[in-house]
Amino acid sequence: MKLAVISCIHGNYEALNAVLSDIDTHRADQIYCLGDLAGYGPHPNAVVELVRSLDIPTCQGCWDEDIVEGLNACECSYPSQLAEKRGHLAHEWTNRAIHPEVRKYLATLPMTLRQDNLCFVHGSPNSQHEYLLPSMDGFAALERVLSAEADVLFCGHTHVPYLRELDNGTLSVKVQQPGQGETQHQFTAPLKRIVNAGSVGEPRHGRPNATYVLYDTDSAQVTLREVPYDYAKTCAAIIEQGLPPIFAWRLARGMEFAERADDPGHVCER
Amino acid sequence: MPHFIAISGPSGSGKTTWISQFLKDQSTPQFYVCPGLGEISMDLARIGYRFPWVQVVAEAQLRAVLADLPDQATVYFEWGFHLDLGSPFLAGLGCERVAVLPPDLTESDWHTWADRVVAGNAVAAPANGHLPEVWCTPLTGQVFDPPSLEVLLLEVTGGAYGQVCRLKGIFELPNGRAFYVDFVEGLPGMEYTELNLPPWLAGRPSRFSGIEVTGWGLEQQAIAQTLLDSGLSDAALSQYHQHF
Amino acid sequence: MANWAILSGIEGNLAAYEAVLADIRRQRQPVTDLYIVGDLVGLRGDNEALVRRVRSPQPGEPIPQVCTGWWEEQCFSLHGLRGLPDAPELVDRDRLGTVKDLWEAVSRQTVLWLADLDFGFHELDCLLIHGSTVSYSDELTPETSPLTLCDRLIRADANTLFCGRSGLAFECWVEPSALQSTVTTLDQTAAPQEQGKSPRRVVGVGNVGRQAGQASYVLYNPGTNKVTFKQVQGSLAKGFGASKGLSHR
Repeated sequence: MKLAVISCIHGNYEALNAVLSDIDTHRADQIYCLGDLAGYGPHPNAVVELVRSLDIPTCQGCWDEDIVEGLNACECSYPSQLAEKRGHLAHEWTNRAIHPEVRKYLATLPMTLRQDNLCFVHGSPNSQHEYLLPSMDGFAALERVLSAEADVLFCGHTHVPYLRELDNGTLSVKVQQPGQGETQHQFTAPLKRIVNAGSVGEPRHGRPNATYVLYDTDSAQVTLREVPYDYAKTCAAIIEQGLPPIFAWRLARGMEFAERADDPGHVCER
Repeated sequence: MPHFIAISGPSGSGKTTWISQFLKDQSTPQFYVCPGLGEISMDLARIGYRFPWVQVVAEAQLRAVLADLPDQATVYFEWGFHLDLGSPFLAGLGCERVAVLPPDLTESDWHTWADRVVAGNAVAAPANGHLPEVWCTPLTGQVFDPPSLEVLLLEVTGGAYGQVCRLKGIFELPNGRAFYVDFVEGLPGMEYTELNLPPWLAGRPSRFSGIEVTGWGLEQQAIAQTLLDSGLSDAALSQYHQHF
Repeated sequence: MANWAILSGIEGNLAAYEAVLADIRRQRQPVTDLYIVGDLVGLRGDNEALVRRVRSPQPGEPIPQVCTGWWEEQCFSLHGLRGLPDAPELVDRDRLGTVKDLWEAVSRQTVLWLADLDFGFHELDCLLIHGSTVSYSDELTPETSPLTLCDRLIRADANTLFCGRSGLAFECWVEPSALQSTVTTLDQTAAPQEQGKSPRRVVGVGNVGRQAGQASYVLYNPGTNKVTFKQVQGSLAKGFGASKGLSHR
């Protein structure tokens, strides 16, 4: 079975359309979406309607959560004061633009989706806000996959796609307790994988193209896809809709960078 | 007799750098003048911070200072690209005229004007009739959120708010230190130099800081708003100061 | 030479705390630092008297450094200072009656003082905390999965993680000995990286006040990196309990 996994569309209808066409040409049997349908981009309602009309199983992203529950992301999730101010502008705009039934739909999205040995989340199994960066400590990354009780963990949120294979994980433990002898045991983990689906609508890999991944459940083959689309159209719509023009400038350069990514261990307390 | 040297050349060619090599010498009184930008001159401020023994002369004091120069004095006039080379003021002083020019520039008004041509940075000389505009603003008292400042500089020099060929700035950071930032289009990267000043760790700094952007079609309001959005509030600043 | 005493879970038991202080005074190598990693207050015991005692150490006693724990967080919730209102964790765990008991057991003034305490302490290459950096309610024991322990040590950014949530006394060395990580991006597949590293440990510091006459705590010598488990005799705790009224007048 061939799966396509998409994430972080951020109201970019043009990019979503291009990715769906690419998925068509690769004849995927099933699409999963890892959330962040809204935020920053000019067409949040159209994006949600398209995802719903195709019955794509979707988990809730941090932006979807904020649209449902009001802006309550802790300030520490922004990399800079400037990014925070811009994030608030984007939130206010989206909050005004979003249709009531779209908001209702976003509220129903689950945090986690599963299929056999695969698990799908937005950020990490712990939180929609946690970044699983490719540079994260390997054992911490392995812990995330195991805590999801999966062999392959699909995530998004960082906007840069990657595949990480974690093999031959071995830990040994030596325990000393008062009044008892020392005990020792060893723990080994079989091959586990983290697949980051990148971002359809707000890429951050330095090029404007949309990204997503294909996964073949039979061969366990992962393919990272980069799809060109008419980003100038989205940029024009950003300006036309009264969103900050700087969003368009950054989108055209594949350098959108809305939230903190340098503190992957940070868990938002709110 | 005091010695007058006027230095000109296109934006980013290395005029200030050329002058700086002589300002290190403390044996005779030295004066530095950078006319045309009024009180908001990054070069004036930077030279003042870097060479405290050099007397930097603001335009308003120029007349009085010139009238009372010691005999051994050397006066450097940094003559920006936007100033008239045929200025009667310069001609009246009897200056030595030095042009700092890109090595591949072989013919220009500067060549005709100069007594001496020095090879500077390989910047593109502006096409005739399309002189860039200069936008500058003081930022004294503003202290920047460091990651925001980084984004801002990347965006401004990357062309997000109009095509920029030159950016100079003096910025205050919450650790009390001030940095001089220099960007020249066509040269790799951006130059950050920490200014040798005592750290300012109580309240907002009252020493000069500011930004000067040279380019075409500059969206001045958008740049100003981004500068404002990147500055720390009183509360955030005092939190930083407690930490340091 | 530094010698730390690390305590957790006094839960308002002044007699048990006095017994531990007495044991600390008896150490041949003087205790230089005293850490209390959470659960200073609890449902039973005289929380007010205990907090007074902790805040006014006697001459020659190390000044206690206190961070918050599970019971403190329940107080903050109940008093609307932090977290979810109305202490749902406490309601889930016990019956509604305990909420009323806790409200009466700790005064608002004391709660406000507790609210200013740290969440934990980073000292040298150690983190001292009630649960873990994940949460004050994160309960680490020798039975916890090695990978979870390893994750908590990575998050703690420490070579030794002292914690008190479980109430157990243990020293658990975790050695993440091998792991091959290979990252593929759009532009390249990087060469596999070996991520194994040297052992680090999680130390459970025991519990002082939960069970009468069974106080436990740990001593840690940063110079030798050695952890020593201490158990304080029940009879002694009772004896000091009798002098409870005198100690803070």
